[in-house]
Amino acid sequence: MSTLAERAAARKRAERSQSALDWLDDRLGSSKWLRSAMDKIFPDHWSFMVGEIAMYSFVILVATGIYLTFFYNASGAEVVYHGPYRPLDGQKMTIAYESVINLSFSVRAGLIMRQAHHWAALIFIAAIVFHMGRIFFTGAFRRPREVNWVIGTTLLLTAMLEGFSGYSLPDDLLSGGGLRILYSIVQSVPIVGTWLAADLWGGNTFPGNGDFFPRLFVLHEFVLPLTLAGLLGAHLAVLWRQKHTDFPGPGKTEHNIVGSRLWPQYFVKTNALLLFVAGVVFGLGGLVQINPVWVYGPYEAARASSGTQPDWYIGWLDGALRLWPHWEFRSFGHEIPNPFFPGILIPGILFAVIYAWPWLDKRIYRDYGEHNLLDRPRDKPLRTALGVAALAFFVDLTLASATDLIGNALGVPFETLIELMQYGTFVAPIVAGVVAFRVCVRLQRGQVHPIQRPVGGIMVRDARGGYHTVGAAHDGHEASAEEHGLEPAGAGPPAGASEAH
Amino acid sequence: MKPGQWSSWLSRARLSPERRRLLAGPTAVVGLSVVAFSVLLWASGAPAQTQAASAPPAVDIAVGEALYNAHCESCHGAGGVGGVAPQLVQVGAAAADFYLSTGRMPLDSVHDQPTPHTPYFSKAQIADIVAYINALGVEHGTPGPGIPSVTPACAEATAGCPTLSQGQQLYLMNCAQCHDASGSGGELSHGYVVPSLRSATPTQVAEAARVGPRPMPSFGPGQLSNEQLSAIADYVHYLSTTPDPGGLGIAHFGPVPEGFVGVIFGLGVLLVAARLIGNRG
Amino acid sequence: MSEELPFPRVVTGTHGPEEGAGAGTPWPGDVPPEQDDTWYPLRDDPWRARRVELFIALLWGVTAACGTGLMAVYWMGGQAQLEGALLFCGFSALGAGLVIWARRLVPGQEVVGSRGEHTSAPEDRSGVVGSLSRGTDAMLSRRGFLVKRVLVPVGGVFGIAALWPLASLGSRPDRALFHTKWYPGARLVTEDGRAVHVDDIVVGGELTVFPEGFIEDPMSAAVVINIGRDKLQAHTVNGYNQAGFEVVSGGNGIVAFSKICTHAGCPVSLFNVLAMQLICPCHQSTFDILQDCAPVFGPASRPLPQLPLGVRPDGYLIATRDFVEPVGPGFWDRGSEP
Repeated sequence: MSTLAERAAARKRAERSQSALDWLDDRLGSSKWLRSAMDKIFPDHWSFMVGEIAMYSFVILVATGIYLTFFYNASGAEVVYHGPYRPLDGQKMTIAYESVINLSFSVRAGLIMRQAHHWAALIFIAAIVFHMGRIFFTGAFRRPREVNWVIGTTLLLTAMLEGFSGYSLPDDLLSGGGLRILYSIVQSVPIVGTWLAADLWGGNTFPGNGDFFPRLFVLHEFVLPLTLAGLLGAHLAVLWRQKHTDFPGPGKTEHNIVGSRLWPQYFVKTNALLLFVAGVVFGLGGLVQINPVWVYGPYEAARASSGTQPDWYIGWLDGALRLWPHWEFRSFGHEIPNPFFPGILIPGILFAVIYAWPWLDKRIYRDYGEHNLLDRPRDKPLRTALGVAALAFFVDLTLASATDLIGNALGVPFETLIELMQYGTFVAPIVAGVVAFRVCVRLQRGQVHPIQRPVGGIMVRDARGGYHTVGAAHDGHEASAEEHGLEPAGAGPPAGASEAH
Repeated sequence: MKPGQWSSWLSRARLSPERRRLLAGPTAVVGLSVVAFSVLLWASGAPAQTQAASAPPAVDIAVGEALYNAHCESCHGAGGVGGVAPQLVQVGAAAADFYLSTGRMPLDSVHDQPTPHTPYFSKAQIADIVAYINALGVEHGTPGPGIPSVTPACAEATAGCPTLSQGQQLYLMNCAQCHDASGSGGELSHGYVVPSLRSATPTQVAEAARVGPRPMPSFGPGQLSNEQLSAIADYVHYLSTTPDPGGLGIAHFGPVPEGFVGVIFGLGVLLVAARLIGNRG
Repeated sequence: MSEELPFPRVVTGTHGPEEGAGAGTPWPGDVPPEQDDTWYPLRDDPWRARRVELFIALLWGVTAACGTGLMAVYWMGGQAQLEGALLFCGFSALGAGLVIWARRLVPGQEVVGSRGEHTSAPEDRSGVVGSLSRGTDAMLSRRGFLVKRVLVPVGGVFGIAALWPLASLGSRPDRALFHTKWYPGARLVTEDGRAVHVDDIVVGGELTVFPEGFIEDPMSAAVVINIGRDKLQAHTVNGYNQAGFEVVSGGNGIVAFSKICTHAGCPVSLFNVLAMQLICPCHQSTFDILQDCAPVFGPASRPLPQLPLGVRPDGYLIATRDFVEPVGPGFWDRGSEP
């Protein structure tokens, strides 16, 4: 098949690679690791790539973010804007806000970079959440992967903080409102709240003394991204060490791994995914407007805009603040203000449960063993029901942060919506959980488990006219890969493999 | 529709079905996204609201009176003295013009909340009715606010002529809390809908501020001077007629539609891509 | 695209218990010599492979065209929508080409490898404890006094000392949360510096005001409302009135409240004139103006503090003193006002 010239070229290439890799090996002894890395097997079920979507969004966030730092100026000092955007011409604003306006209107390609950065952030966290859901519902967090569950949850929290800090940097009316609420939440912490808020913002009252934006900037472009990168590195290192989980299926066991090799197959595929992520992020960045800070105007404490919402991943916290009843505790000259409960206590408890889930799961199922093959959600109805209930809870809270917009769209008073959603925090999880449980049980009954289902079975009529099944295995553990019909009908098998050599 | 069909046109002529299947996946990602983006683009439809500043035709109070008697009298009473609906002898021309030109009046039933519609009357008819109602006020010696004259803001700030940027500042301090910074509206307590300003004319914006169509508060000349009101109206006009620099405005409701697009569309397309790249197992 | 790809599967590796298949190389993912590692779906169909190759080249040509377009757009001054469309097409076409390449032309079959052992051998496990004990025995058992009694307290003290610089981040909390910039006789001025006259606000109108000299002070923002003489007097009769906090002039009845929500500090500024309510845009706390802005809906639990008003002889509205209680959201020591 290959011509003589091609073979000669391949030989020459191999020689050159050999000398380059030898050079490296002489210094680092890298060949063994490199070889195992290139031969590393990745199961390529599509749902395993969602984590990669998050990772590539992060890559784009870093790249566009670095570009943005060249133009952003984190200063709370006041200036008067003079520039191409007429409605802001002559307005007083902070240098931080001015630099974002200049980035949007006076820097070529600045607007698309800014918008792509923001879209990438939304997609980043959406992908993390989806990925986490996949891990949860398939039981991929079980031993030995508890560590990566904990790292992943920390990644989600850090990503949310990173997103919120970035949303706050432009110092526009919308983000200023968000910071005002955050200040009130920090201030609501019993005993130390006032100190904490004063230390973060550099002042006893909001918005502090102007030290805040440089601090926020250092958090957003240094501390938090570095934390994210470190955690991501650890996440990948643990994954690399433990190898990927896989769905049960023909030829798959707890002790083997089925998929494509990193080099070249998976490498090419995963890079294609990176390019698609970039395409969508930059496509949205140029074609769909996001966070038009010039419309919101510079932040000023006395101004407000009606549709005051955070980005979607903070929505559940904002919704919790809307739904929490008007309770405050006051006695002996002290008080625990209202925002403490929905702003700190509830999220704290929720994330404590999420962190502890792998261990709670062990107790529920009395299963302390190691698992490399995944559960199908239907096979663990209780876990699935609890996960769906938690999702319903978060969705209810997230919707609650848009009560005014939903009310406006549907013509329903926000009072009604808030009341409904207050009940919804109890009712929605219960209903969703029960439905999920019943669906799981029905699916279980209605369908044979793939491990028990005959795989690759072929009915053969023998010479005596009887029928029997060929190659039917009833348990993945008993069936070695060769036994299964690994060469689907009609495929050109590499049967000629041995001939080629 | 199966993704394969999206790209079938590509290969219909020369390629075998197998070949079509072969190219379908990746082409589908591109195709699907292009289609989705196009739909987004098409759905945006930048609101092009221009104020027709043509000189009003000569008004005829008699025609206005006849129209009033035919369409308004049953609720607002003969001569505007009021009936099941409020009196009109003191409301002034601004109120009459606002309610008629935005199609809020006439109402089918006095129990309805007036909402914007296509005007029931023609421009000339509205002018006639407005003149009649204004005349009623003059007759009683208590004319309400007249139709505010709206002039475009000045490029340079001069005495008595605010700029677009002053318009934005005044808008953000006085209007944005209900109508949203982008003018797309919102909601008050008890289910009162705050209408979008993005299809209102500058005159209607100024009239509404002066009149205060309840539950909206009113802004008298002591709160906002005529020049300031003019600047606000001009800014609203600018907001709703200038194309969004960043692309599609997606309803101009801020982070909620943005989150929807990011999570459902952005992640959605990428999940389709992952599904086409990875195995379906 | 629902049918499975015709990838054959190669079984490799020998050290997993489940892979009973004979001898092989010890590399997970390595292919035994009798199986082909250069197979790809279109290997036996050069004509189709060529066509696919051309199609990929076409896709990547699109990318090149987009790149050229991007440079041109940038050269001409940049335009976000064009840039977005070109970047989208460029990246997607490049990616689509790669996917077709990977699925059709890149050699490689589905591979089965052993997971191997990710845990250490038992002797290593016990060995690590031995190594650890070498140090901990020396430090804790024999020199337990030094570590437990001395090092830990010393480290604690020194560690706390190292935390002190954190206090430099902010000033010590003072009484700033308890007071605003309103002072007796302060005229009410708007954002653009205009003093508010008692007849400036029409009935059913609102205006955001600041103390004269402290325009845009975040804590002092107040909303002044004309609820009309009749409503003001009616609600006085109802007994809600805090005497001296309101101004009546002609047909006007004027009241002023802090604009900072007592829930989370947003500016309470939506005004429903029909219901005489102020609503917060952030979490929809609703305050009834006729009950001195007591919260009637939403998460806020305290009324908006009211600003005591007066009128100067020349008709300008003034504050007769600061708010009677701290404005804005709650905090731990709020009740400790002397």
